Amino acid sequence: MLGGLARFVSRTARAATRLTRAGRWVMLRVLINQIRFTALQAMGLVAFLAAILAFLVISQSIHQLGRFGAVNNLGTIMVVAVIRELGPLLTALIVVSRSGTAIAAEMATNRVMGEVTALEAMGIDPYIYLVLPRMLGAIISVATLMVVFDAVALASGYVAAATSGMSYNRFMVIVLRTLSAKDVWLTLAKGIFFGSAVATFCSYHGLAVKAGPTEIPQAVTRGVVSSIVAIFILSALFVAVAT
Amino acid sequence: MTQPAAGGTIVLGKGVAPVPGAPPLVYRDVALLERPGGRRFSLVVEEGAVIAVVGEEHSGVGWIGRLALGLVPPPSGSVEAFGVPIARLPYSELLVFRRRLGYLPLGDGLLQNLSLKDNVALPLRFATDHRLREVEDRVAQLIEDFRLRAIAALRPAQATEEDRRRAAMARAVALRPKIVVLERPFDGLSNRAATALLDKASRDEDGTRRAVLLTTRELAPSLRAMVTGVVRVAEGGVVEDPK
Repeated sequence: MLGGLARFVSRTARAATRLTRAGRWVMLRVLINQIRFTALQAMGLVAFLAAILAFLVISQSIHQLGRFGAVNNLGTIMVVAVIRELGPLLTALIVVSRSGTAIAAEMATNRVMGEVTALEAMGIDPYIYLVLPRMLGAIISVATLMVVFDAVALASGYVAAATSGMSYNRFMVIVLRTLSAKDVWLTLAKGIFFGSAVATFCSYHGLAVKAGPTEIPQAVTRGVVSSIVAIFILSALFVAVAT
Repeated sequence: MTQPAAGGTIVLGKGVAPVPGAPPLVYRDVALLERPGGRRFSLVVEEGAVIAVVGEEHSGVGWIGRLALGLVPPPSGSVEAFGVPIARLPYSELLVFRRRLGYLPLGDGLLQNLSLKDNVALPLRFATDHRLREVEDRVAQLIEDFRLRAIAALRPAQATEEDRRRAAMARAVALRPKIVVLERPFDGLSNRAATALLDKASRDEDGTRRAVLLTTRELAPSLRAMVTGVVRVAEGGVVEDPK
């Protein structure tokens, strides 16, 4: 699989260098659609899960930390656990489950229905028309959704803290003390890497279908499982490299 | 290098130009079936000729369209489009060279997530530097010519087989190719629809005759009158010369 994946990535990179002006416009239309589906339509779900997660984590943490008089460490939990680790991970998993499945199924259908061959016959590189916009769309969407997740999580974390009697000013001081510029860069980097992983694995397995429609669900499963494994490995690498 | 087209230019790659005076399509000693010592297929499609290649399912006829577009390399012999051995071109140049040939693949090859109108517009949007207005004008003209106006907004799955075939044909001739290659274009169509489709394929809007190479299992008498040559293929070779 690794050889095939490397060829796939290399073909995608080569396709990007061959983009004509007209090709860019066509790609842009597909890209906008992809962002609408992957980012815009997922915002409600991401915001809802961010709010629930942050509320639960902060409520539990305040209660437990309060017993040891360590409420000031709440910022570390908010920033390190929620914003730095769980936020990107959960956001990427939401994108895998909503858009990764769609990308893999769509690509596999494109292949089975002869649409990929038809594109090539028209002189359109399928990597430009199908893969590149989904790759860019996934990167932009994951990064955007991570920012949304962080913002909602912060707001929800404050609500949880406020219900335990903490003032807004104290909550912000505790959180901002731990939050650094590195967290912003990490969010951006994770958005790029996680988004690339989702689009790459799902597109690769979708386009790898050969035999017929019965292979489509298998391709979706392979795409999703590979993406999840890649996201967890990348997450571990980020911890190893960036801490 | 560019090729004149209505209101703009077709975006073509560098280096590969058609050989002046060369016929649109030439097959030389091509093995359609991988059998040692098997028959070879040779055929010349001259400018303006309408050639029907008739053959059963496993006669090798299914490879003829793909060979013409360079979608598969000939296992032996050569296939030349406008004097250029198409399958030997580097991939990026192969893609742009293919825009000189129209292609209606088996089934129809329409993209399922686009409307019929967007399917027709796709090669114009991707492969030309036409302004948006010019593309829309050309698409409107094709929609009108191929009687697609009432169904232009439908997705392929919502349209009838005949409508899909007409949309695929409109897409195939959108860039005004000098030859179109049709794979079993009349399957499931009435004689009337098949005759109209072949008529559209063999003539440009200005009345100029266009070369057509079509593959089919059987050729109805009404269609036989419209073709300039019939080639019967069996076991990978020609068993009947053009009339």
